[in-house]
Amino acid sequence: MDEGKNDLINGARMRMQKIKLTINGKLYELILGYEVQPWHTLAFTLREKLGLTGTKIGCDRGECGACTVLMDGRPILSCLTLTVECDGKNIETIEGLLNSKTGKLHPIQEAFIESGAFQCGFCTPGMIMSAKALLQRNPNPTLEEIREAMSGNLCRCTGYIPIFNAIMKAAEKMRGMT
Amino acid sequence: MKRFEHFNAKTIDEAILLLEKYDGEAKVIAGGTDLIRVLKDDILPKYPKAIINLKTIANLEYIKEENGVLKIGSLTRLSDVASSSLIKTKYNLLSEACRSVGTPQIRNMGTIGGNLCQDVQCWYYRASKSLGKVFHCLRKGGNVCYAVSGDNRFHSIFGGKGCVAVCPSDVAIALTALDALVKTKGPLGERVFPVSELYKDAALNLGRSEIVTEIQVPEPPPEARQIWIKFRLRNSLDFAIVSVAVMLTLEEGVCKDVRIALGGVAPTPKRLKEVEDFLKGNYINSETAEKAGKMAVAKAFPLSHNAYKIPITESLVKRVILMAKDHRTLT
Repeated sequence: MDEGKNDLINGARMRMQKIKLTINGKLYELILGYEVQPWHTLAFTLREKLGLTGTKIGCDRGECGACTVLMDGRPILSCLTLTVECDGKNIETIEGLLNSKTGKLHPIQEAFIESGAFQCGFCTPGMIMSAKALLQRNPNPTLEEIREAMSGNLCRCTGYIPIFNAIMKAAEKMRGMT
Repeated sequence: MKRFEHFNAKTIDEAILLLEKYDGEAKVIAGGTDLIRVLKDDILPKYPKAIINLKTIANLEYIKEENGVLKIGSLTRLSDVASSSLIKTKYNLLSEACRSVGTPQIRNMGTIGGNLCQDVQCWYYRASKSLGKVFHCLRKGGNVCYAVSGDNRFHSIFGGKGCVAVCPSDVAIALTALDALVKTKGPLGERVFPVSELYKDAALNLGRSEIVTEIQVPEPPPEARQIWIKFRLRNSLDFAIVSVAVMLTLEEGVCKDVRIALGGVAPTPKRLKEVEDFLKGNYINSETAEKAGKMAVAKAFPLSHNAYKIPITESLVKRVILMAKDHRTLT
């Protein structure tokens, strides 16, 4: 086969390449070069292409943690992640926390409301995702463990204390459920 | 971000081939926590035409021990290094240094190889059009280091040949105290050399198409005490203002062996050979620790805004030695 033809086939394959993302249990197939470009971040794709605007973009430089989502169960920064590199990954965002059958909020969300753990609310989705990853790993965290797990999320309103209280409360609620 | 081509490398050789093909106009990406910021701010003199993903290469993510040498694949994430029970028990210094990097999210993304190869944090180097001004500094191929005559509060107190930005990697400091080696692969084959030699003036000591593939750490003696201290203004996210890694072996109160490395104070990890020679064979007490602290900064020559780092370095060196002696750890 001559090289020109080879390039053409490769080019065609490139054009048809799909990025498969499982987001909150639902499979999305995005066509590379059309719905996703190599320079798109996951935060951009979630918000601008898939309409999942619960994930916030604060600093867009990996400093504030507002864009935190879970990738394969671990909190990561969606503003520093290229969507093309998420092929085959399992992503959880704040939209996935609501129980779709009962319509009930997640215990962490309830605890945040009950403890007054937000004012402007911009950091909250990221905070809750970090907290969810912590409580999945460690259902009974100490205050120090909570502080460390939340050290990548900035809040400029609350002074953090209500947030730590909310996570303590959420841990209690979740332990009670199982 | 501006446009670029994106490749998922399947093997190291494929990544090297792509780097060769793009001849300096491609960048490799691992965790991306540094590179994506660099691309968003558009600080490089030449925006890369291609980004080559290393995460798709199989078998670069591992932690294992072979014949008394700890081997860590360069794509191993910092959170995995920090939480590995093998590393916590025998190489605690490395575990603590990894745990002090960035934030939990950054550690879940960032890799040990990427941490070693990250770009410096100098604000003249990092300034961009979007922030209002670009400094074509030494690191970018210019002929001036703007920090020398400018605001250099976070820069080197031990000079530098030209560029005075400090080595930003915490992992490199811990690995220097552990006498670790780094293994790389490039078009000319593989190289193995000490981690501290990965850094040279105003650049990384890597060829254009060379990739870090493995970190090798010799097993410390079981009685060695390892301490890591990172001084910074916030306890999360911040880079080190001064960091100290120490590995101390005592025999009835007398120092049998010691290795001390400083971070945040020089363009490369700084081994304190003279201080180590002084301590070896001496009793470790508050007097010798204090003398060690003084010796550590004896040859410092601060810039206009960073003399404050000298007393910090002096007291941290004293502190780590005493902490190692007393088996104390930071809480």
